[in-house]
Amino acid sequence: MTTNPHEPHLSASTPESAEHTLRIIANLPAPEGLEERVHDSVRRAPRQARILAWPTVLKPQSNWMRTAAAAAIVFAVAGGGWGVYTRVQPNRPTKVLFMPRSVPPGGFSGAGAIRTPETVPGPAAPQPPKSKAAKKPAPKTPPKNSVTAQPTAQTQPDVE
Amino acid sequence: MSTGQAIYAGWMEIPTSAVNDQARRRAEDAALAALVDQYAAALYRVAYSVLRNPADAEDAVQEAFLRVVRHRDTLNEVRDHRVWLIRIVWNIVLDRKRRAKTRPETDDVSEMARVLPSTGLSAEDLAAAAQHHAHVLACVEKLPAKEREVLMLSAFEELSSVEIAAVLGITESSVRSRLFRARNLIARLLDHTRNSQ
Repeated sequence: MTTNPHEPHLSASTPESAEHTLRIIANLPAPEGLEERVHDSVRRAPRQARILAWPTVLKPQSNWMRTAAAAAIVFAVAGGGWGVYTRVQPNRPTKVLFMPRSVPPGGFSGAGAIRTPETVPGPAAPQPPKSKAAKKPAPKTPPKNSVTAQPTAQTQPDVE
Repeated sequence: MSTGQAIYAGWMEIPTSAVNDQARRRAEDAALAALVDQYAAALYRVAYSVLRNPADAEDAVQEAFLRVVRHRDTLNEVRDHRVWLIRIVWNIVLDRKRRAKTRPETDDVSEMARVLPSTGLSAEDLAAAAQHHAHVLACVEKLPAKEREVLMLSAFEELSSVEIAAVLGITESSVRSRLFRARNLIARLLDHTRNSQ
């Protein structure tokens, strides 16, 4: 158990003992030169900004100065609005009509693409010279569904 | 006078109120210096009783006077400068203590032995006293904040219960009831720790 040699008559577990301790702490002397250091810090503290007096002609109280300021504000607002108005264009409907593309039979389609790249036209193959034999009519080929062309089920061998 | 000065002299006129402002500022500086001389030590003791660190306590005092500089225009409206200043420094130290909660306080036995008055005490007695006071302060720290604050401020003999109420912003009857509760609680805490030892 701790005792209080500063006040031996006080029991260590009484509130008076606690208050005595707090009183000792409260009465501790301030360090040397505290006032000077506080004076220094106060002197170094930033002062409020010095306000210069307006020249007589430009005093804010004069009416023409107020009018000029109001006009400047109106001019700035109106100019800004006009600048925005001239730069922003209204949304107009497009003049381009998209036509369905004609797809050649057997060729590739555009798959619904809006734009297709313009490719360079391919090399043109030289046309073969037209001969007399080409003019002859081609021999008639038998029809595909003739009897000789397709064997019937009776003639086919059985496959096990 | 140079050309530039001549131009500015005609263009910028010095208002007559500037002279009055300078005189007023000088008077405020003198009043502030008087406040520092009169109350800096008292404010330091208030700050030290909460922070228990000499450097932090001095910082708090300086910050309190810097706040006064910022509000120097209201100096004339203050009725009781002492209570006003104690209230300022009290708020500063509570704020600092709240922010530096994780930092250990210097209320250990060796620090107590260093700061305690050692008149008429042997080294052994001084060590015992330091141990006792450190133990009591540890119990005080366990009190609820409201009761602890009243108990700590009541230790300042120059502060009456009315002034404590003004510092804490509560009524005088609240101060009395809190002080009563704080005394009961601290007695119970000290008794409990004595029995457990």
